[in-house]
Amino acid sequence: MECVSQKQGQTITIKVTGRMDAVTAPGFEKACAEWIDRGEKDLAVDLSGLEYISSAGLRAILGTGKTLKTRGGSLIFGGMSPMVREVFEISGFAAIFPVYDSLESALAAR
Amino acid sequence: MTPASAPSRERGLAFRMALFILTSTTLLFGIAFGYNYVYSRDLVLKHVRENATHLTESLVGRIEARLLSVEQMPRHLALQLDNRNVTRHNLLAMIASLVAGSRDVFGSTVAFEPYAMEPGVRHYAPYVYRDRGGGVVTTQLGGAHYNYFIWDWYSIPRHLNRPVWSEPYFDEGGGNILMATYSHPFYEVSTGRPVFRGVVTADVSLEELRLAIGAVSLYRSGYAFLISRTGQFLAHPEARRIMRDSIFSLAEELALPALRRVGRQMIRGQEGFFSFSDARGEPFFLYFAPVPATGWAVGVVIPERELYADISALNRTVLLIGAAGFSLLSLVVVFISRSITRPLKSLVGATTEIARGNLDVTLPRMAVKDEVGQLSRSVDEMRLALKEYIHHLTETTRARERIESELKIARSIQMSFLPKRFPPFPERHEFDIFAVLEPAKEVGGDLYDFFFLDDTHLFFSIGDVSDKGVPAALFMAVTKTLMKGIAEQRIEPSEVLKRVNGELCQGNDSSMFVTLFCAVLDLRNGRLRYSNAGHNPPLLLRLGHEPQWMALPPGLVLGGMEEAVYQTRELILSPGDRLLLYTDGVTEAMDASATLYAEARLLDQARAAGPGGTEALVTQVLESVRRFSAGAPQSDDITMLALTYRGPGTS
Repeated sequence: MECVSQKQGQTITIKVTGRMDAVTAPGFEKACAEWIDRGEKDLAVDLSGLEYISSAGLRAILGTGKTLKTRGGSLIFGGMSPMVREVFEISGFAAIFPVYDSLESALAAR
Repeated sequence: MTPASAPSRERGLAFRMALFILTSTTLLFGIAFGYNYVYSRDLVLKHVRENATHLTESLVGRIEARLLSVEQMPRHLALQLDNRNVTRHNLLAMIASLVAGSRDVFGSTVAFEPYAMEPGVRHYAPYVYRDRGGGVVTTQLGGAHYNYFIWDWYSIPRHLNRPVWSEPYFDEGGGNILMATYSHPFYEVSTGRPVFRGVVTADVSLEELRLAIGAVSLYRSGYAFLISRTGQFLAHPEARRIMRDSIFSLAEELALPALRRVGRQMIRGQEGFFSFSDARGEPFFLYFAPVPATGWAVGVVIPERELYADISALNRTVLLIGAAGFSLLSLVVVFISRSITRPLKSLVGATTEIARGNLDVTLPRMAVKDEVGQLSRSVDEMRLALKEYIHHLTETTRARERIESELKIARSIQMSFLPKRFPPFPERHEFDIFAVLEPAKEVGGDLYDFFFLDDTHLFFSIGDVSDKGVPAALFMAVTKTLMKGIAEQRIEPSEVLKRVNGELCQGNDSSMFVTLFCAVLDLRNGRLRYSNAGHNPPLLLRLGHEPQWMALPPGLVLGGMEEAVYQTRELILSPGDRLLLYTDGVTEAMDASATLYAEARLLDQARAAGPGGTEALVTQVLESVRRFSAGAPQSDDITMLALTYRGPGTS
């Protein structure tokens, strides 16, 4: 898995590619935590390059989402493959995190 | 490696060093020794030739000097008699003075031609000689019984018209001494042409010559000899050969044809150097030279062995020195190579010990700072590093074993929570249930459960904690316990999930969550009410229909957010309908190339399994998953729960 993050205006965009599982998920969580520790509150994650997400990946997302929620921030997602989308739907994550077709539309909706 | 070279390769460094150094040294020594031997031999041979030549020449000189001094007197007398008539008295006095003139002259005569001394006297030859007592005696030679005109001593000078030495002979009457007679002719020359009148003779003793030559000694057994014109020995260290043997009879006796050739050269008056072996194979050198005055020849014989005796002695010494040097060198080489290999050997011993696993072995202390010393220090460092590493590894292994054994205990505690006895309710025939939890290596967080809420309502559930390890196992235990407690309050499945979620969210800082599907089946009519918290949709296998995924209400995983809400849905199962609940350990099982087993395969496998018992269904799917992921390690728990509704009233 690879995480490339940058600041775009008030939003931090994070592009995730590869597989997000028990091995790689902590990397995502750490990348997000670094921005949050610097005071950033709005994170938009581009999942268009994500091939697979396991429950460990979901847990990393949930952890990050909870942290941001306590700080009044937001975590939104864009550009999911059908499989990742299905996982989001089944796990109910789609109900608690805003999910968009692409990062652009996610940023536009902000 | 060829067999021939094997031994030297198997032997130690010391052996090879010694072999190479000593072999090359021996070779060098051998070359030097050989050259020295040949060169010194040549040198000695040259000296010997020179010595033999000088000796022979001096011998010849001595003989000639002696003979010439003897020749003087008859020649002088002959000159006095030329053209002169002397009285008998005067003649006798002249002869007597000749005899007295030299100790070597034994006797002398003046023999006249017939009637040359006095008319009417045919034989006239007064002979003066020394008798045994030392006195001088006079006698007349010639007469009817002794016609001296035909004797060699008279006729040969007469015919040759020059003085002649006779062949040597033993004089029987004169005390067995070796003699030779010198005859000098004299003439009447007043008439113009010289007319032979007679000869003057001197019988000369050769004893002193014989003794002088016989006494010549060269080296230890070298000697000189003298032969006459016919090859007869005149002087030889072996007295019995004198005048009895000739060089030719000796050649015959010794079976040495070469000696005969030499003899011929000698009597021909040649000079030469010759090498031959006697009957015993003993090699000799022979140098020979002529005595021109008499036609005799002198030979000097030197045994070769004695010639080279000095060289042999020298060679022995050189060889001895060489052998001593070789021994010394051997010792030095052995000492040096030992000093190199001894520490190496002890090092080899130590490293062998290390290789065997004994890391406490003490390495030999090396005082030297050479390569061997460096090697020893490196090996010691390696030993210490190895020891530390193994110590560390042992510690780590021990710690890991402890953790693993604790995990194993945790795992067995976890598994003990789950109902594992099948069939669980053998008295109930309305349904058939079977479940399996195939744990991954690590402690996982899968769970399943089923129990009666009352006589007609069966509660069942399946879930998957988002993490692994002991925390997940604890989380799973908490979830299961909570769920059972709450479900027994006879509330809707969605309400069960909501309450369990509420409890799990309390103080859940680690964002751990559990996906859960739960349902209540009314065994009287097949009514199934169910709810879902983020779990994978179960497979619905209606009798006589294609398998299909159950439609699930949306619902967030448990432990995620306190505010999460869940819905209850309902469907009616007909007798023979089946449900297959599973965790993502099934659909996300991977093969060696990280391909997922995936829902499609699960669907196919469920279809292929056909109608049958729950245990058969679960077992077949499980085997299919195992086949799929053959060789790849199982990373997650694989859990399945299958339920068949048989319908009411079958009891």
